[in-house]
Amino acid sequence: MSFTHLNVSSAYSFHFGTAKPEKLTQAAASFGQDALAITDMNGLYGAVKHIGSCLDKNISPIVGVRLEVQNRGIVTILAKGHNKGTGWAALCKIVSKAQSKSKKEIAITEKDLSELIATDGKPNCTILLGPDSDFGRAVIDSNATVSAKKLLAWQELIPVSECLSVEIVSHLTEPGTNYSTLQAKRMLQLAITLGVRAVITNAVRYLEPDDALTGDVLDAARHLEPLGIFTPQPNAQAWLKPESLMNKLAVEITQSQELAATLMKNTEELANSLRLDPVSDCDWSRPKTPEKSALGIEGNPFEVLWQKAHAGISWRYPNLSDNKLLPVRHRLHQELITINKLGFATYFLTVADVAQMIRDMRIRTAARGSGAGSLTNYLLGISGVDPIEHDLLFERFLSTERSSLPDIDIDVESARRHDIYRAIFKRYGGNRVTLLSMQSTYRGRGAVRDGGLALGFEEDQIDEIAKSIWRFSARNFRGMLGQKPELQKLAQQLEHDRRLNLLVDVTERLDRLPRHISMHPCGVILGNENLLSLTPVEPSGLGLPMSQFDKDDMDPMGMLKLDILGVRMQSSMAYAIREIERVSGEVIDLDSIARDDKETFRQIRTTNTLGVFQIESPGQRELTGKHQPTEFNDLTIQISLFRPGPMKGNMIAPYLDGRHGFVKPDLIHPDLAPILTSTQGVVIFHEQVLKILNVMTGCSLAKADELRRTLEKDRGFVEKFFRQNATKRGYSKAVVDRIWSVLEGFGSFGFCKAHGAAFALPTYQSAWLKTHYPTEFLAGLFTHDPGMYPKRLLLSEARRLGVKILPLDVNKSKDEYLVEKTIDGTGIRMALTDLHGISNSEITRIIKQAPFIDLADFYLRATPSRVTVKRLALVGALDELAGGSNDHTRGDVLERVRQLTALKTKPKLDQNQPMLDFEAKEQMPSGFAPISATGQIQAELDLLGMDITDHQLAKYQPMLDQMGVVRSNELVGLRSKTDVLIAGVRVATQSPPMRSGKRVVFITLDDGTGCSDATFFDEAQARSSAVLFNTKLILISGKTRRTGVKGVSIMAENAWDLNQLWQEYRQKNQLVAVEN
Amino acid sequence: MIAVDENVKVLTNQQGEPVRFSWRNGSYQVTSRPERWFSRKPWWLEASRAQRGIGSEVLEVEMWRITAAKGVNSPSEFELLHSNDRWQLVRIFG
Repeated sequence: MSFTHLNVSSAYSFHFGTAKPEKLTQAAASFGQDALAITDMNGLYGAVKHIGSCLDKNISPIVGVRLEVQNRGIVTILAKGHNKGTGWAALCKIVSKAQSKSKKEIAITEKDLSELIATDGKPNCTILLGPDSDFGRAVIDSNATVSAKKLLAWQELIPVSECLSVEIVSHLTEPGTNYSTLQAKRMLQLAITLGVRAVITNAVRYLEPDDALTGDVLDAARHLEPLGIFTPQPNAQAWLKPESLMNKLAVEITQSQELAATLMKNTEELANSLRLDPVSDCDWSRPKTPEKSALGIEGNPFEVLWQKAHAGISWRYPNLSDNKLLPVRHRLHQELITINKLGFATYFLTVADVAQMIRDMRIRTAARGSGAGSLTNYLLGISGVDPIEHDLLFERFLSTERSSLPDIDIDVESARRHDIYRAIFKRYGGNRVTLLSMQSTYRGRGAVRDGGLALGFEEDQIDEIAKSIWRFSARNFRGMLGQKPELQKLAQQLEHDRRLNLLVDVTERLDRLPRHISMHPCGVILGNENLLSLTPVEPSGLGLPMSQFDKDDMDPMGMLKLDILGVRMQSSMAYAIREIERVSGEVIDLDSIARDDKETFRQIRTTNTLGVFQIESPGQRELTGKHQPTEFNDLTIQISLFRPGPMKGNMIAPYLDGRHGFVKPDLIHPDLAPILTSTQGVVIFHEQVLKILNVMTGCSLAKADELRRTLEKDRGFVEKFFRQNATKRGYSKAVVDRIWSVLEGFGSFGFCKAHGAAFALPTYQSAWLKTHYPTEFLAGLFTHDPGMYPKRLLLSEARRLGVKILPLDVNKSKDEYLVEKTIDGTGIRMALTDLHGISNSEITRIIKQAPFIDLADFYLRATPSRVTVKRLALVGALDELAGGSNDHTRGDVLERVRQLTALKTKPKLDQNQPMLDFEAKEQMPSGFAPISATGQIQAELDLLGMDITDHQLAKYQPMLDQMGVVRSNELVGLRSKTDVLIAGVRVATQSPPMRSGKRVVFITLDDGTGCSDATFFDEAQARSSAVLFNTKLILISGKTRRTGVKGVSIMAENAWDLNQLWQEYRQKNQLVAVEN
Repeated sequence: MIAVDENVKVLTNQQGEPVRFSWRNGSYQVTSRPERWFSRKPWWLEASRAQRGIGSEVLEVEMWRITAAKGVNSPSEFELLHSNDRWQLVRIFG
């Protein structure tokens, strides 16, 4: 006989359990147990991972939930198995029901429970009444009569005896307390008296006793209180004990070998009835899609798909001759045959249906990922790039060698994403759709914060430590202390600070543990009408139900997940197009513009790509300078090259050398020339690997993709296959060796070309808009903020492009950045939303009540708060109400605002009494000082976060000039290795993975003339550690380094805080008194 | 209940259960089956490290609830703390 744990909280019991399901199953299997339960708090969050890992270990999965029953305490509810899913469905529904009321109060009512359990008298689930149930508590708090009544009440609620058990647990706590042996004894006695089956568990919450410390910290995180404030767990006994210890516990509780054996036997009998058969109980891994009726199709789905795809040919290729259509038809047939073989016709129809629905809503979409390699997707309107023109392979996306549902990801306008979700729920019905969830896990900073909270650290101190954790796994926090310059101070403190040592230890413990569940940023699950019997759901922040399963659970559960990703760039572009049409009447169809516009590529080559999708980061700008793209395919290549893999694999330099004719590309063998020419002999794409394998070994492309996937797991197998078959086909050993070394090194380096091409489309489109409609494009960027840079950098870019920025004006500004006609062209009007502290209702009132005649009129009708009206005045948004700068100074405006806000009670609009104070303009005070340029910029920075009228660096100009600081736009004229000083506002800090494995930090500065990028290696990082990550205004010394025709970057040597230098400079020049 | 905090000498049987202890010149004979349980410590106030793998001893402590009598006196309930071969008398119940 073996023992099965029936009450196990995994790490997916957030802020409670400490062990991942795979660790628990591994331990159970190593104990020789042949089944294991997972019973997470309030949900089936870890259930799919548990089942998967039980299948791996060849033990039977058991699944349940720890749940509060209203007025009855916390119990464990387990699904019965081998009943065609009725147990699993009941469990899902119980969880969903308990979750449906509110996030704060997750509990199931007695009525709901009794209705869902033992429906039709058939036992579908079983309830364990443990120490946390009302019965368990009663045996401690009350006498035997009261306790017996509690158990009787349960028997009445759940009359089917198969569905109710008493759970005997002893954590060997203080005699007479909860989870003590005494409690277990009493519960057992009453269970025997009333004829309820008793089973024994260990109410497990961790794998080993050592994890109890982690448990303490998680308890603190759950209570949001430091350790020592709340009642902690009683001891460290809640671990996954082996059978021998469980047996010993049973003897200790029963004081009788015979009773102990019965207890163990009961447990095993119950466990046997709970073993799940994943396939018949959970519909494991069988693909599920909406029924035909839900998709509005009749007849054979494959025939419908065939017709739809063929109908797409004349739409996508309107002018192609029959001759040229032949390869299109041939490819489509190949794809459709594969789709039919896999039985995925309904899947494609579903995705196409959703894509069509989104287009009908007039929302911009684009496909991403390997799906762009499918002609079917292109013809169905799911993807926007032509796979034939761009040489993309279907086999990378889908093949008969694999049977899991493929991923098709759709990018949409971020601002409309929720509209799309709602439309999908409406179209397919709430019983077939749920949102996908996402488990967030503890990473460095979060782990330090919660560890610090548990240990009672001050928030300031934790903030400081958290900030210094930059891009490394907290699992090895202590190891990092000696290596990272920014942790030096902390490392020194550790030597004599006990609490800090504990903090480092608990941070390491928390790292990577699941932390909470939230809505996945883009996933929607589409299933058939049985969906809610297969997954439990809970309310999401959006109000729509969300599955408790995450993306890794989709494939095992055979669930169709659609990634509908909100992309701000799509919103920005849609906005720009709307503004073009609104202001000029010109209508632009961005998806059908020619993709070879010379002017657009010329603009890209200047490296001024700020705001352009995918190629605006410092690294991409540098690469753009070196690469000098001239056509669409170059963008695909560049996007694919700028990845950790190619960088580590040193693929960029040979490609660029070949491209610029420095070296003749090495194509290795004439057979490979067609595959490798376009990338200068460098293997960049998965598609190229597939073709090489196809050409050299004669295997199919589908098989080649399987080999590519195997490459990472079993290199030896692929090597053997490749060498044998390539040699058989007559390739020399030298060629085989060369190619194998390329393929071997390729491993994780390559990129799916279809994905690169899908990304290149919005890259090109955004560059095109920036080139031809910079004002509207920037207005879109301002409104939807898609990029990696702060808004104030967009202002710098606007200045550089000569795009006019129109200041905040309560009569003209809205909640978006509108393009406005001016005397000499167009400009972008700043939006009200940027003013610090302004409320949504204030914005709505201002927009609704505008225009205003004067200040009093504004104050009266827009009824802004006193703070808001003052801030509006400070940034000049009320200047126009005072007749503009000709009539009155900013000082006058501020004085008038002071008068108005000084009134004790706000004047009401409908007052009949004439209020002299609000009569007319002549009451404007005059003669007050105008605002200084420095003051204006400071007000803008403080209140808008942007320096609108001039760059904030202007203030430091005298000092910078004296130091000989070089401006960003002058760098390109300098020789390589010139010693320079650059200064500016930090706009980006990046630390991408490098080939050497060493950390390199890139800092991008903006000085008003453009951006400059500085690279910090080890020594420079050590010298400048004080300012490296946190200082906003920086001065950097270093040497210029040419990176291409248009590219210069700075190899940094040191860096300083500009403000600190400024203080010293002012003191030296005795400017302190003068300035204010 | 009286709180005590004094080291005591304890004699145990083969299972490690206390059978007799001496305290303040008196010898106490255990008169019924002793009950072992586990209590806990505020490690965050006293431990210098808490790294993964350090062991539950940082958090947990073994306790024995026993009934014992000195000579012919009527028995009382005592609580012993057992840690690293050291025994302490921590509580005496009425």
